[in-house]
Order: sequence, then C-alpha cells, then structure tokens
Amino acid sequence: MAEGRSSIVISIFSTSSGIGKTITAINLAAGLAKEGYAVCLVDLDLQFGDIVNYLRLNPKHTIADAQMSMQINEKNFNVTDYLTDYYHEDGKGNSCKFSVLAPPRTIYDAYVIDVEFVERMIRRLNYFDFVVLDLNAAFSALNLAMLDMSTIINFIGVIDFLPSVKNFKIGYDTLIRFEYEESKIRLVENRADSQKLIDGRDVERLLGERFFHRLPNDFRSVSKSINEGCPLMFAAPSSPLTKSFMDLAGEYTVRHDDEEIAAEVPVQNDGIFSRFFSMFS
Amino acid sequence: MSYRVVLVESDPKILEELNNTLKKSPDFEVVSTYTKANDALGQSGVYNPKLFLIDIDNAEFLEMLPAFVDIYPNRIILGTMSSWNPDFAQKAAEANIAGCILKPFRANDIIEAMNLYQRRGKFKPARIVSFFSPKGRSGRTTLASLLALDVAKKSGESVALIDADLQFGDLPIFFDVEPDHTVVDAVHDIKMLTPVTLAPYFHKLTENVWLLSSPDRPEYAELVDADGLVSVIRMAGHVFRYVLVDLPAGFNPISVAVSDFADTNFVVAMINTGLEIEHMKRSLSLFKSRVREHKKTCPIFTRVNPCDEAQRVKMEMELGSPIIAIFPNEYNLVSIANSGQILRGLPPDTLMSQTIEKLSEELMYGEL
Repeated sequence: MAEGRSSIVISIFSTSSGIGKTITAINLAAGLAKEGYAVCLVDLDLQFGDIVNYLRLNPKHTIADAQMSMQINEKNFNVTDYLTDYYHEDGKGNSCKFSVLAPPRTIYDAYVIDVEFVERMIRRLNYFDFVVLDLNAAFSALNLAMLDMSTIINFIGVIDFLPSVKNFKIGYDTLIRFEYEESKIRLVENRADSQKLIDGRDVERLLGERFFHRLPNDFRSVSKSINEGCPLMFAAPSSPLTKSFMDLAGEYTVRHDDEEIAAEVPVQNDGIFSRFFSMFS
Repeated sequence: MSYRVVLVESDPKILEELNNTLKKSPDFEVVSTYTKANDALGQSGVYNPKLFLIDIDNAEFLEMLPAFVDIYPNRIILGTMSSWNPDFAQKAAEANIAGCILKPFRANDIIEAMNLYQRRGKFKPARIVSFFSPKGRSGRTTLASLLALDVAKKSGESVALIDADLQFGDLPIFFDVEPDHTVVDAVHDIKMLTPVTLAPYFHKLTENVWLLSSPDRPEYAELVDADGLVSVIRMAGHVFRYVLVDLPAGFNPISVAVSDFADTNFVVAMINTGLEIEHMKRSLSLFKSRVREHKKTCPIFTRVNPCDEAQRVKMEMELGSPIIAIFPNEYNLVSIANSGQILRGLPPDTLMSQTIEKLSEELMYGEL
C-alpha cells in the first residue's frame, strides 16, 4: 500500500455488554483477512478483554508492554513487535491470518493505559489495510478517542431486553449529540431473529435510523467457535451467522463497491460482471 | 403529648438559645439542662426524660454516647452538631443513637428528624452493600432490586437503592419510574444537605424501598465525582438502614471508591462462555489486595446450570474461593424487567426466590 495512507479503522462499540462485540470484532477481522487484507484486531476492553481467550492465543506482549516501551523510547518503538499473529487453516485449503494487539494481563496494567499512547499506537498500525477495535460498553475517554479515530463505528445492540433498548437509544442519541457523523455510525442488530418480545422495526422507529446490518442468532455456533478457539468460518462454516459476518466484512471492502456498480450496469448476466469487477478488488 | 427533653450542651449561650426555642413549642418540655455530659448521664434519670439532645461537637460528649444508650435504653437520643460532620455522625451511629441534627434547630426540625430516624429502622449503623460486576449483563441490577425488596419486606426497615451505574443505569426502567431527582443533583448539593434534606432526593418505590436514580444522559456522569458520591452514600446511611448501590461494570474511579466504602461487596458474574470464572478471579484478586479486613467480598454467579450444590463446589474449586450464592436462569425475569413490574417480585417457591431469600437473611442476621 502507498506510503502515508492510513488504515480503515472500524470500531465495534455498544452501550450494553455481553451483546456480541468481541465475537463481531473477531469475525469481522477474520472475514476481512480472508479476503486478503492485512488486518489488525485490537482488544480495548482493557480489564476483561476476551479476544485472546476466544482465539486461544498466548501473547508474548500486550498493549501494556507496548505502552511501556513507548514511554522508554518512542523513537525506536516498533508496534509490530507487540502484535500476536493469529493463523488458522482447516486443511481444506482455507486459511486466515491476522494480527492481534492483546489487552493487559492484569487490571493494574489496564489502569495505567493512557489514551494518548493508545492513539499513537493505533496510528502506527497504519500499514494494515484494516484496524478493528473491540471497545467496551461505556463512554470513556479511551472509547471516545477511539471513536474519533474510527472511519466506521459499528454500534451493536441486542434488543431483547427493555433496558438494553433504552441503552441502545441513549447510546445512539449520545453519539449524535457528540456530533459523530450519522454516515459513520452503522447500527448492527445482533441476534436479530431470536425469539423476543421487542420488534426490530419498532426500535428503528424509536431511533429514527435503519439497521445497517442484522446478524442472526446462532448461540450454538458461537459456543463452538469459542470452545474451538477459532472464528466461525472454521468452527461453523455453514452457519447463517458465518455468512452474515462475511457479508458485513464485504460491506467494508472494495468488493462491495464493485457489486454495487455491477448491479447498476444494465446487463443480464451480472454474475460475469461481478466476477470481472471483483478481479480489480 | 409533649416530649420530656434533656438538653446537653457545652456552650452555655447556645444552651440558653436552644432552651428558649423549645420552651415556645407545645411539643416539647425541657425537663433539665446540662453543660456537662457526665452530670446529664448521672442525674437525668430522675426527670424521666423521653428525648436527649446531646452536643456532639464536643468530643468528650460524643465519646459518652454509648453510656447514654446503655443507661437510658428506649429513649430517643439525638446528637446535635453546628455543621454536618460525617465522622461525628458515623461515630454517633455506631453508638446506636437515633441520629443527628443540626443546631440551631426549631421544634419542627426535631420532629422531622425523629420521624425520619424512626422510619429508617433500628438505631444501628447502616449496612452499605455494593453490587459490582466485572462485565455488564451479569444480573447485577436484578439481584440488587430483588434483594432490596426482600430485605425491606423481611426487616420492616427502610432500604435505599442507589443507581451508581451513571452512564447506563437501569434501575428506573426496572421499576418503571421517572424520578424528579438523580444522583447528579444529590452529589451537587451534598455539602448543604442533612439526612432530613437528602431524603426527598429519593423516589419512593414501596412503603420502605426508595430509589436514587441515575442521570438520564451518559455525559452527566461526569458531574459526579467519586468523593461526592461516597458522601451521598454515607449520608444515605443515616436516612436508610440498608443502602444498596448498583455500580457500573468493571473497575473505574466510581466503582472502586464505592466498593472501598461499602461494608459488603457482592461481585456478580453471569455464566455464559465459562470465562466468567477467570474474570471473577481477576476481580477478586484486586478486591482482596485493597479491601480492608472487616469487609466482605462475596462472589455470586448467575445463570448457573445445573444450579445445585455439586456445581457450586465444582465452581469453587475452579475459582479457588467460596461462592456465596449461585442463581439459576430465570427466563421470567426478563419479561418482569421488560414490563417494569419487578415490584411484583418473583413467583414464590422457585429456586430463584429461595436463593434471594436466603441471601437477604444472611445479610440481615447472618455472616454477611
């Protein structure tokens, strides 16, 4: 990629926890990596981040080590030294590789993480095509700084529980009040098809905004993925959720643009054209 | 009926002033006045007083409160202060007197204070219980609500719920209320408040359960500093016998300051991926390293399946620490909270309601 070009930074944010941010972050990163992009996944749930647990990684270094090294000598600091590689192949020719910046090992370490250092660290990841940020559920100084840096904010909600709907609405209103561009905020509904008492369309009316993407519910596949320590594309390749994550990844790649252009071209056999365009992606 | 009052005040001028004030009131009859507490302690009995008003700005008098409680049981004892001193108030509470008021006071101030302290419950120090969870969606708020209702029902004493999850507090929606005041107002005003004037910041949920609501916008959370919030909780302990504080998830200045102050910390995690036991371990090690000796840190797991003794023992082995309670999954709860009808409580005789009852009994009478 060209020198000085910055990465696309995609943050995964919510205002309730336990609604699938980490699963989304991992599978979005994996989906983008699968398409051939260089991807770095950053766990910014500093106290209780689970990315390394979900992927069974044993990181040598964490974001806390990286910050310490920057504090000692930022000129010689190379962020690459602090990343942990995730690589998986299924023996059938499918493989996926991306980098992970691991969260601190202890809560004490989490406490000393400084927003400005994290900002500089993320900027140094600009040799990646995509940087995916897994945030935690609060309007903290760190999260706001990360949202500022983000190209796209995936704002995720599960709307099965009234307090969660309230927090989703409050969170969205707050993002708008904080003057994040509406086009930057992508509403993602998780567990969209699960049995529930609240209708997604009612929530859209409440928010005055449509969901950008809906992820179906597949608790079993998610559990399998966590137990096996690998993304859904390997743990549950045929799950509708896996496909939905690939579609979400597709929304953020050139492939998506090509398909849109292809759709506008008035030809009958658009399959060939899609493939034609996808060659340029 | 008028209260037979003994006035104990080290400053003779103030004593005279207070005496004159009370003389004008038909509700009070000053039967004896003292400038020395030991005189009052030794001699008051002959006047058969109903109410003692004792100057606790005077450190020596403050020290003698337990002796007054001992010698004059079943009398109402109020400490009097020229300005609200939380340390003196705390010491007075530990002596098991009814409470404290500011002087100078009018007759009506005494009546209001006595009404409040009687509504509060037993003349004993407050129990301050925090509800912490490493991550959200732990069942923390549900547990705090159900315990508040059950403790109030069983004890007949008054219980406060304070929603300190300042950005995304769910207690108002759980109870389907829109209180006029929030924790932001209380913290803003706390320096000017006394128990009597703090009480109206709480929204009445039942006969003896009251809520101090979280703010309605996440950014208002910034208006609440940890010290101010602890001052509010501390004073709430003079208004309510039990103060249950629902914290935001994770360790942050608010959750750390409140759990440092509370006498009991419930640490709640919901079983989902199984990694929650690791999160609990992490949290407990932090609690253990900073929490003072007399405090209790109580791990609780929710949505445990199967929810039985064998499972608890297994989880305790993994955690390396006793688990105070495990809760089963209760699908009903989601619809109860969705409909804002948590006040109706749980269906009786379920494992969930039995576990809540056991926990509230332990909190009231037992080890906790």
